[in-house]
Amino acid sequence: MDKVMKNKTAIFLFMFPAALLFTTIIIIPIVMSGYYSLLKWNGFTDVDFIGLGNYIELFTSKSAGFPRTIGNVMLFTAMSVFIQLPIALALALILSRKIRGEKFFVAVFFFPVLMSTVVIGQLWMKIYNPDYGIINSALRFLGLESLTRVWLGDQNTALMAVFIPMLWQYIGYHMLLMYAGVKSIPVEMKEASYIDGATELQITRYITIPLLKPVIRVCVIFAVTGSLKAFDLIYVLTKGGPAHASEVPSTLMVSMIFLRNRYGFGSSIAIFIIFICFFFAILIKKIFKTEVD
Amino acid sequence: MKSAVKRALAVLTVLAVAFSLAACGGDSSKGTTLVLWSIATESDAFHPAYTKAIADFEAAHEGIKIKHETFENESYKTKIKSAVSANELPDIFFTWGGGFSQAFVDSGKVLAIDKYYTDEFKAQLSTAALGNATYNGKIYGSVYSTPVSVMFYNKKMFDKYNLKVPVTFDELTNVCQTFISNKIQPFGISVKDTWVLAMSHDALTLKSAGPEKVKSVLTKQGGSYNDPDFIESAKKIKELESMGAYLKGATGLTNDEASAQFYNGTVPMYITGTWMAGSIQTDTETPEDFDVAPIPVINSNNAKITDFMGGASDTLMVAASTKNPDVAGNAAFELTRSISKYAYLDGAGIAAWKVDYDDSAVNPLTKKSAEYAKGATSFTLWFDTLMAAEDAGEYLALLQELYTGNVTPEEFAKHMADQLGK
Repeated sequence: MDKVMKNKTAIFLFMFPAALLFTTIIIIPIVMSGYYSLLKWNGFTDVDFIGLGNYIELFTSKSAGFPRTIGNVMLFTAMSVFIQLPIALALALILSRKIRGEKFFVAVFFFPVLMSTVVIGQLWMKIYNPDYGIINSALRFLGLESLTRVWLGDQNTALMAVFIPMLWQYIGYHMLLMYAGVKSIPVEMKEASYIDGATELQITRYITIPLLKPVIRVCVIFAVTGSLKAFDLIYVLTKGGPAHASEVPSTLMVSMIFLRNRYGFGSSIAIFIIFICFFFAILIKKIFKTEVD
Repeated sequence: MKSAVKRALAVLTVLAVAFSLAACGGDSSKGTTLVLWSIATESDAFHPAYTKAIADFEAAHEGIKIKHETFENESYKTKIKSAVSANELPDIFFTWGGGFSQAFVDSGKVLAIDKYYTDEFKAQLSTAALGNATYNGKIYGSVYSTPVSVMFYNKKMFDKYNLKVPVTFDELTNVCQTFISNKIQPFGISVKDTWVLAMSHDALTLKSAGPEKVKSVLTKQGGSYNDPDFIESAKKIKELESMGAYLKGATGLTNDEASAQFYNGTVPMYITGTWMAGSIQTDTETPEDFDVAPIPVINSNNAKITDFMGGASDTLMVAASTKNPDVAGNAAFELTRSISKYAYLDGAGIAAWKVDYDDSAVNPLTKKSAEYAKGATSFTLWFDTLMAAEDAGEYLALLQELYTGNVTPEEFAKHMADQLGK
């Protein structure tokens, strides 16, 4: 192994394909987007260099409604971290205790992750349907007619109505990561503390969760960056509507670029999303590091 | 050992390169193959017409093959834009006339096909029909159908309450009121698919401001959107919405979901394009219960009942990058001519080309719609196609805000005037 690590040609040979792919499909497009974001450009004809004009419009234009999308996506990020991850952790802890049908439940909870988002979107659209959807039908059956809503079409409920399936879909994903993490903790440690008289709750609190921290950190980073760039399910369910109520930066970006031919403005949103994802990823790493020290 | 690894690596590399080269090669069979992109997916009403038109063309021109690739409508709008900017257009492609394709033509990626518009074609398709495919005095595409916005209604439900087809807006509100008093929601509509809401608003605006004013304001040739006639139609939409004339939950329903309520007889009216005539034949159990009418007039000083939203917008264009401009240019016309015929016979669309064949088998709804289109005193392209993409996007977003009550009709008109004045 040492020999390979010293061999510069070998390092180059093994790194080159990955580095090439990484540069051409990630680094270069980001740099290009950065350049596009300084242009007023419809994607086909002449370009107009306007400097930071797009960024200024981003935060000042009322009709574009960008600040609101930030608020929406922050709310969603908070919900992923404080609602989705605890549920995933609880499920992982329960399932890893050798309960009956463990494998079956792991598969069941993971299933939504495997399903195509468009399929999930169609499924939830049926659930939310104001006419025959299961939610309104159940409410009517229970005599709670007054609580029925047009869940995806009401400005007050649309945001939550799209967030719930998004949280639900990825619980299984985080659960699986954490489940694998719990399973990899040596049984001896638990047995030792058990012999020392620790209760199940204490073992979980003082042994399992601290040892699970690296996995939790990864989950938090995935949950946060995943939420910040959330797109597909929102697009299928509401397209950001009604009247921007469920708009997030990525849906706004797509509508700007592909609906309105505003490549420059859309690119500035893209750059903003990239920037904010990096920012949070680094921040989370810092937070977890200081806690470890 | 080491050399064995090296040899294996070398072999793998060679194989990988060979494969990638093979993938780039493509077929080298004889004759010409034209690639055609369209949105006539297998579930689309125009799919059979495209298929038959291509078969006809291939039969008439030996050695020329047409490879038809289809895409879903919404995603196609994205695809076509990226293809234009990446210079990856196929020989012939479907697009929408008017403002939508303006930027494509401006970029020089589309071929002007004036010289292929021969006398034979001129006799069957008027120059006027090509208006939306004409930019700076040159023809850039050919069309096949002339859809217009109309009001489909359920005759049986109208008869049950002794209602007559409304011709003025006041009559329309009376009809709505009668249905509402009988616990029936009058109009099916989708706000989530905003183009459906736009169909109603476009038509009412036309019937309030008249064709000349609409066209000159939206294409920035004079006049302001902040005008009483434009505010009036926004008010009418709001009025219908507040009286409960629109399907409950329309803000969360897609066009498919909303039109299903019309097909199954839950709601009696639906304002949309004439293409619905074809769907009614296949998607309802009793097509004979349905009928079609023009959209009522708001201001008879400006607009007539025979003024229509719509016109030939579905267009086939030829890429400037095609290797066979002569074949492709001619094919654009021959294909649209055949599609026009077969789509009309199928009841999918109203023929833009001259009907010189037996059309007695066409369903009565499509035929009646065709009569309306024939007797039209004016055609105004739908706002979101007529306006440039940026303005159209803002228009659709603002319409949702208007419908949900976030902006008043006056604010709506002012925002639109600001957007168009940019």
